[in-house]
Amino acid sequence: MAMLTTTLTVALVGNPNTGKSTLFNALSGLRQRVGNYPGVTVEMKKGQFTSDGLTFELVDLPGTYSLAARSPDEMVAVDLLLGRRPEEPRPDVIVSIVDATNLDRHLYLTSQLLDLGVPVVVAVNMIDAAAAQGLTINYEKLSGALGVPVVPIQANNGTGLPQLIRTIRQTAENGKIPQPLEFPVAFNEIIAHITKELSDQVPPVLVRRLLLDVGGYVEHEFVAEHGKRLQQLLTKAREQLAAANCPVPAIEARTRFAWVRNAVAAAVTKPAQRPITWTDRLDAVLTHRLWGTVAFLAVMFVMFQSIFLWAQPLMDQIDAAREWLAQGVEDAMPPGPLRALLVDGVIGGIGSVLVFLPQILILFAFIAILEDCGYMARAAFLMDRIMSRCGLSGKSFIPLLSSVACAIPGIMATRVIENRRDRLATILVAPLMSCSARLPVYVLLIGAFIAKPGSPAWLPGLVLFAMYLIGFTVAPLVALALKRTLLRGAPPVFVMELPSYRRPKLTAILRRMFEAGKAFVIRAGTIILAAMIIVWALLYFPYTDANGESYPERIAQAEEAASANADRLKELHAIEQPTPEQQAELAQLEETASLADKLNGAWKRQSLLGRLGLWMEPVFEPLGWDWKIGVAAMASFPAREVIVGTFGLLYDVGDVDPGLVLDGSDEEGQAKVVSLTRAVQDEWAKDPIRGRYGVPVALSIMVFFALCCQCGATLAVIQRETRSWLWPAFTFVYMTTLAYLGAMLTFQIGRLMVG
Amino acid sequence: MLVPLDMLQAGEWAEVEEVTGQPGWVGRLAELGIRQGCRVQVLQPGATCLLNVAGCKLCLRGGECSQILVRPVTL
Repeated sequence: MAMLTTTLTVALVGNPNTGKSTLFNALSGLRQRVGNYPGVTVEMKKGQFTSDGLTFELVDLPGTYSLAARSPDEMVAVDLLLGRRPEEPRPDVIVSIVDATNLDRHLYLTSQLLDLGVPVVVAVNMIDAAAAQGLTINYEKLSGALGVPVVPIQANNGTGLPQLIRTIRQTAENGKIPQPLEFPVAFNEIIAHITKELSDQVPPVLVRRLLLDVGGYVEHEFVAEHGKRLQQLLTKAREQLAAANCPVPAIEARTRFAWVRNAVAAAVTKPAQRPITWTDRLDAVLTHRLWGTVAFLAVMFVMFQSIFLWAQPLMDQIDAAREWLAQGVEDAMPPGPLRALLVDGVIGGIGSVLVFLPQILILFAFIAILEDCGYMARAAFLMDRIMSRCGLSGKSFIPLLSSVACAIPGIMATRVIENRRDRLATILVAPLMSCSARLPVYVLLIGAFIAKPGSPAWLPGLVLFAMYLIGFTVAPLVALALKRTLLRGAPPVFVMELPSYRRPKLTAILRRMFEAGKAFVIRAGTIILAAMIIVWALLYFPYTDANGESYPERIAQAEEAASANADRLKELHAIEQPTPEQQAELAQLEETASLADKLNGAWKRQSLLGRLGLWMEPVFEPLGWDWKIGVAAMASFPAREVIVGTFGLLYDVGDVDPGLVLDGSDEEGQAKVVSLTRAVQDEWAKDPIRGRYGVPVALSIMVFFALCCQCGATLAVIQRETRSWLWPAFTFVYMTTLAYLGAMLTFQIGRLMVG
Repeated sequence: MLVPLDMLQAGEWAEVEEVTGQPGWVGRLAELGIRQGCRVQVLQPGATCLLNVAGCKLCLRGGECSQILVRPVTL
């Protein structure tokens, strides 16, 4: 008998697409939190609610078709149900949620849950859909056949939930342990034998799993613990079973499905002919080779447009807020390292994190809608043929495509891929897709070196297209290479259920958006912030020149002088035919105006990062770069769009906002971009290598940026999603190597062609 | 007559006779309803095929399909 305390732990278990999460949300409302487990990537949601003075602790286990655990991730659920996780109490009741329209398959998992020695309640969900298909279910008879209470529910509108809560409570109170399924006698004998051999307190259900799941996780764990002898014992036992006409693992499916068939036959009346449903009609179009692909492309087009178009105004506002805040701090504090840390390090860093948020939220809104309504599985089906060529499955398509907007939401979207190796391969190649942050770099360099007067009008577009093509071709190749080497393994069976179409629920969509946003800001944000502060410090220190004079102070003075003369400068500019004196004054004032930018440039050159760049110049040489390009590339490792601003600093035109490169409406900003373009062109013209090979050098920089992982946020998200520092480190190393080799190849080939 | 599942045409029904391959995925397919004695209908043939298994649509990658042997039936 279970002693009843004031809290009752209830675990929700069911196949994917049973409405398990809907039930969880309906019961626990907003009182939810996410439980993480060391060493595994699964997250389990926990919620709480009270009913009649009793507190219910709900645990939402990941959707699964069976308890046959193949990986540590799947084992977490089994361990939790058995109370083998020290941090979690053993559940008092297991709620097995099944789909009323497909009891035959869903009750298989239920039959495995009966083995666990914990009271079980079966919740039959989607009774409306079953009624629409003409199915009639006698719940009393079903309960009798299964030997556990059965409650019909409709989770999305709350039908049957009070009854479910009452039944859970009663079941916990009478504590009736369900009767495990009878397996053939030969099987039971062998189980008894193995149990004796193991000699310690192993739950009977684990002995069953050990014998049944060939190559499963329980086998790995136990053989590691008990040694080779157990492996031999298992092999022998399985041979004996095969001889006794109980082959493993078929015996499990045979026994359980026979039991399920009997239970369903007793309780369910099916119509003679299955009626054609809306899902069938929609699928005739949406999974059609031609029309389905057309519809898919249309959906993707709308998704992309929204990520690019809707996010932009929000991103601009976040940027504006960041600038406003930075300005406020600058006005309120005296200049010095602390102010610079706050403005450039902290506020700049937080701004660069938050700026991704709109894209993440919009992408996740789309993913939530597409998943909830059931379309995602169709999209994966349609794309599987293409994706299987690079060793991935159709489920990798949407994460990779999303990465063209931004790798961060793309990597977070890989959570829909169950296969661990496929998911890792997708995560590792996602940053190769050309994201929107690369665009300012391409546009700036194409504007400066490719789109020259006299060159064909189609050339800039072609180069831009080529840059995107690099991502589209290299990513699948790397994925294929990874699947053949590091992530090698038997090709996973790609089996996926196409669930019935459903109307998505607004609350569920908002919840997904909120969770994705929160996870990104909190977890990734801290790491990005740290990276931003480090690069800031490398560019800030030392802040005095050889004579001990402080750069920030001199810059502030120069800026003051420039602003004092700004009106006079405008006046002089307005004069159409200036006298020689006026011209001299104009030249002098322009010099004063540009002094701050020049000082800034001198400061960055002698900063730690600047010195490192000079020292590392031989490394950059094969790429055709000088130390300035090298420093700009290194400074862009936390966020690649930083290169535009760093170029501005190093070429003495002042900080340039990368957004301005693409935005033609801001005249002052455009002037700055034009002057940066000119400064880069002038400086390169003076240099023997870059003067002669300007185009190859520009292409080499672009190829480097196309292939390099210059995004602290991406690495932080990879760390978060894989729960390991190994994979972000691996991504960084392989992409940087690839980028270096790619850039070198581009420059050397370009040089041969020009020369 | 036993044929691999991927030899069936769109709309054809068959009874599964034998599923061979790695035990882990033979088990997974059984959990999903593709096991000896079950009726399946091919909705869309191809490398990645679409099946109707007990009123439920399943998508399955071709290479593995060939390891499923079926007996075509006429309704």
